[in-house]
Amino acid sequence: MAELTQNEKRLLAILEKENKADAPHLAGLLEATPEAVVQWAHLAQDNGFALVERVVAKEFVYTDEGKAYAQDGLPETQLLRFILPGTTLADLQKHEAFKIGFGQLRKKGLVKVEGTSVAKTAGATTDADESALKNPSDADPKTKELIKRGILQESETVRYTIAITPAGLTLVKQGLDLRGESGTLTRDQIISGEWKNLNLRKYDVSKLPKKAYPGKIHPYQRIIGEMREILLEMGFTELYGGIVQQSFWNFDALFQPQDHPAREMQDTFYLRETLPLPPGYEKVKAMHESGGETSSTGWGGIWKEEKAEQCVLRTHTTSVSIQYLANNPNPPVKAFCVGRVYRRETIDTTHLAEFEQLEGIVMDENVSFGNLLGILREFYNRMGFESVRFKPSFYPYTEPSLDAEVYVDGIGWIEMGGAGVFREEVTAPIGINYPVLAWGLGVSRIAMLRLGLKDLRLLHKSDVAFLRETPSLRHTKGGI
Amino acid sequence: MAVITLPYKYLERLTRTDRKTILDKVALIGSDLERIEEDHADVEFFPDRPDLFSPEGVARAMRGYLGIETGLSSYPVKPSGIKFTVDPALATIRPVLGAAVIRGVSFDDESIQSIMSLQESLHWAVGRGRSKVAIGIHDMDTVRPPFHYIASRPSRGFIPLDFTEKMTMTEILEKHPKGRDYAKIVKDFPLYPLIVDDDDHVLSFPPIINGERTRVTIDTKNILLDTTGTDKRAVSVAVNIICTAMAEAGAKIESVEIGGVQTPTLAPAERTVSVQECSRLLGIELTAASMAELLRKMRFGAEPAGADTVKVQVPCYRADIMHDWDLFEDVAIAYGYDRLESQPPTTFTVGKPHPVQVNAALAREAFSGLGYLEVMPFTLTNEDVLYKKMQRDEKKGVLRVMHPISIENTVVRTELLPLLLEFLTLNRHRELPQRLFTVGDVVDSCLTYQQAAGVSTHPDADFSEAYASADAMLHELSIEYTVKESADAAFIEGRRGDIISGGKKIGVFGEIHPAVLNAFELEHSVAAFEFDLRAVPGYPVL
Repeated sequence: MAELTQNEKRLLAILEKENKADAPHLAGLLEATPEAVVQWAHLAQDNGFALVERVVAKEFVYTDEGKAYAQDGLPETQLLRFILPGTTLADLQKHEAFKIGFGQLRKKGLVKVEGTSVAKTAGATTDADESALKNPSDADPKTKELIKRGILQESETVRYTIAITPAGLTLVKQGLDLRGESGTLTRDQIISGEWKNLNLRKYDVSKLPKKAYPGKIHPYQRIIGEMREILLEMGFTELYGGIVQQSFWNFDALFQPQDHPAREMQDTFYLRETLPLPPGYEKVKAMHESGGETSSTGWGGIWKEEKAEQCVLRTHTTSVSIQYLANNPNPPVKAFCVGRVYRRETIDTTHLAEFEQLEGIVMDENVSFGNLLGILREFYNRMGFESVRFKPSFYPYTEPSLDAEVYVDGIGWIEMGGAGVFREEVTAPIGINYPVLAWGLGVSRIAMLRLGLKDLRLLHKSDVAFLRETPSLRHTKGGI
Repeated sequence: MAVITLPYKYLERLTRTDRKTILDKVALIGSDLERIEEDHADVEFFPDRPDLFSPEGVARAMRGYLGIETGLSSYPVKPSGIKFTVDPALATIRPVLGAAVIRGVSFDDESIQSIMSLQESLHWAVGRGRSKVAIGIHDMDTVRPPFHYIASRPSRGFIPLDFTEKMTMTEILEKHPKGRDYAKIVKDFPLYPLIVDDDDHVLSFPPIINGERTRVTIDTKNILLDTTGTDKRAVSVAVNIICTAMAEAGAKIESVEIGGVQTPTLAPAERTVSVQECSRLLGIELTAASMAELLRKMRFGAEPAGADTVKVQVPCYRADIMHDWDLFEDVAIAYGYDRLESQPPTTFTVGKPHPVQVNAALAREAFSGLGYLEVMPFTLTNEDVLYKKMQRDEKKGVLRVMHPISIENTVVRTELLPLLLEFLTLNRHRELPQRLFTVGDVVDSCLTYQQAAGVSTHPDADFSEAYASADAMLHELSIEYTVKESADAAFIEGRRGDIISGGKKIGVFGEIHPAVLNAFELEHSVAAFEFDLRAVPGYPVL
C-alpha cells in the first residue's frame, strides 16, 4: 500500500463526517475544485479507503423550438385546437403552425380534407405526444420521435459521489496526521528542533527519481587487473617496458631470422629511429649465422647489424621480458608483463593493429616443459576456466611449443595463447644457463568473451552508455 | 599459414588406414583441422614443417604416429648421368642450383594440382616469396640434357607458361602476371637467370616462370626438378621435400651432377642426443630405449647408444631440426602432450607489482573518486587529432610509423587529452555531464612514459572545475606544484594554467578553447587537464 498523500488524508477526514457525498459538495468543504477532489478520491480508492461512484444521468432538454411548444403545445396540437366544423384549408393555412403542424396531422391521420374544408377524424387527439413532450421518457417511442424532430435533446451529465469505506473509517478513527508537509529538512530545522513538528514528504520508494553514474575503472582494465592479481599471487614480478623497441630485442635476440616474414614491413610497424646495439650483440650474431657454441646450426647467411638497429613498435612484450632476463641471469626468475603490442593488421571487428598482450616467463634450475603446462593450467583455472588442454604448436623462439585451449560452455574449445621453452639459441647468447618457460595470451580475447562484445574496437572506442551500464563486479561462470 | 588439401582416398591409400583414425589424430602432430568436406579435409600446418605440406608427407608422418610404419624412411637415389652446368656470372645474381630427376610418375589432374600446391607452399614457407628459393617442375621428355643454368640478356625471348606468344624476359616482367608479382627479385640485375637445354630451349626463367614447352601434363612420365635460390640449405630442403614426397607417391629419384657433385643424396643427417637432457627439459622419465622408440614414431632413425645417449638419423626433409631440443619436442609430441604431468614449479617466489602500474592504479582510484569514467583509447592516432584540432604545434618527439595502415593511424600518441576530446565527440548523444579519464603510455621519441588526463563536459564546465580536479589529482598523488599562466592554444586565454613541479612544466589545465570545441564538433564547454606521472615522487626511471 502506497503512503497516503496529504490531500487524501484531508478528504478522508471530511468523509468521516459526510459518509457519502458528491464531488462538488466535498470540493466546497475542502476548498478545491471538484476535479481535484475526484483525483484524490481515486487515489484513496486505489488504497481501499474510498469508493468513487460515477453516476451518469440522462436528461431530456427542450431545444429553443421545443421550449415554445412546451408552452403553446405542439404545432399539430395547435392546429387541432383551431379546427372547428367548417374550417377551410385556406383558414388553416393562415395559422402560423400550419407548415409543420399540418404535415404531422396528415401523417398521424388526425385530419381529412374534403374539398376546401378540413375536418378532424374521429377521436383525433395529440395527448400522447403532448405527454411525451411534458414528461419525456427513454421508454416512450413518442419521445424518440420528438428528438428526431429536433424538439427534444438528450444530454448526459456525469456526477461523482464519493463514499468512505469501512477500512477508511477505521483509518480515520486511528487518527490522521493532518499537518502540512515539507520537502526539505533545513539546517535551521535540525538545530532548532523544529524537525520534531515537521511532516517530511514521503517518497514512493519503488520509483528511482534519477540515475547516478559513478566514476569507475574500465571493465577491460578490470580484467587486466584480475590477471595481474592472479600472477602476483602466483609469485611473479611485474615488468614494464617501452612500446618502442629495437629490432634487436624484438626479433634478433629471440632468434627470429632476419628474413622472417613477420619482420616484413607489411606485418610490423617500423620507425625511422635507430638505436645502437647493446654490448655483447656479437653473440646473437654468431648464433644466427652458425649456432654459436650450442648444438644448433643457426640460420646460416649473414646477420646484418643495421637491420637489428632499426626501431619498431613492439610486436610482443617478449621484447621486454628478454631484456629483463639479460639483466637478471640468476635463477629463479618469475616475471610477467601486460602491455600494448602492435601488428600491422587491417582493423576490423576481430583484428586490431594494437592490443594488450600478457606474457610470463619462468627461469629456474630444473624447470621443465611439464612445469609450463602446470603454470598455464593453474593460471587458467584461477581465471575460472576449469578445463584446459594443450596441443603442439610452433613459435620461432620456443621449443618445444604448445597452444593452450580452454573449454567454454556453449562455445567449445577456444585457443587462448601460445607457450614454450625458450630455444637455447635465445638464452645462450644472453648468458642464461637454465630453461626459460614462456607463455603469452591475448587479453582482449577473454575480454571480448566476458563482456559479450561483437566488435573488439569497442574496448578502445567505447560508448559511454556501455561503460556506465557494465557493473564493476561481474559474476563469471566457467571463466566467462 | 599453409592450408593443405588432403583427399581422403589418396590419404587413406598412402597412410594405410581409414580417414577417421587419421583425422582424429592429425591435430596431435601439430596442425589445425580447418574444414572437413565430403571428399577431402583442409588442414593447416605450421611453417616450420614444410615436409607436411603434401598428402604424401602427411601420410608418412601419420603412419609413424599411428604406429603403422615407424623409423626412418629411406629413399634410394641412383645417378641419372645427367649434368647441369652453372654460369659463374650467376654468383652475384642467384647462385645456388639444386636439381633432380624424378622418373615413373603417374599424374592425374588431382595429383598435378597437389604437386603445384606443394610447390607454392614451399615458395611461401621456405622460399620467402621465391626470393630465397624458387622451384620449377618440367616434363623432361620435351628437352635434351645436359642442362645449363645461365645468366642471360633480358632481351632474350621464349614462350612463357600459359602464353602462346614469344616474349622477352623484360616483357615478361612487365606483362606476365607472375612477372609483375616477382619482378622485384631480379629486375635490378643486368643479366637474368635462365635455364636452357642443350638445344638452347628455355625450361625456365627463375624465379619468375617456366617455359610453355616443358609444361607438366597428365601424360608426363619423367620430371626434371630445378630449384634455384640464394641460400644453399633452403634450396636443398626444397629439393628434398619434393623428391621424398614424389618417392612416397611411387616415383624413382635420380641425382644430377652439378659442379662435379651428385645431388640430391636424400641421405639423413646424424645427431647424438642426451636422454637426461631431454628427460629434464620435458619433465618425464625416459630411458634411451623409450626415447628412441618415441623418435622412431616421429619417423627418425633412432637407436640407443649407451645408457644416456640416443643416436638419431634425421630425415633429409626435416628442415626444422636445427638443435637437439627440436628433437626433444618431437619426443614430447610422440609421448602426447595430454600425458605430460603438469605441475607448477615449486621454487618459492614473492609477487611484486611494477611501480609504474601501482601509480597508474592509484591515479585510476583517485579519478574514480572524482566521478570520472575510465576510457582506454588507441595509442595510434594522427597529427590532425593530436595537434591541428588542438591548435598546438607538433611535438619534437612525435613518432611516425613508416607504413601506416590508414591516415587515421600515422603517429604514436604524445599526449592523451586530444584522444579524450575525440571520445566526447563519439559520445555526444549520451547524457551529460560526462567526465572521462585515461591513464596510459605516451612516447617522446623512443622513450615511453605515462600521463594521466581528464575531461569534464556539461553546460557549466569551467576553469574552476578543471583547476579543482587537477588539484585533487595532484594532491592525491603527492605531487607538489605551482601554477603559472599558460600559453597553450588549446585553452581559452586567461582560463588556462601550466602545472609546474620540480622547476619544470609537467602538465596543463583549463577551459578548452571554443575553436577547439568547434574542431571536435563539441557543443558544451569542456574543463580539461593532463599531467606527466613521472612527477610522482619516487617514480621509477625507465
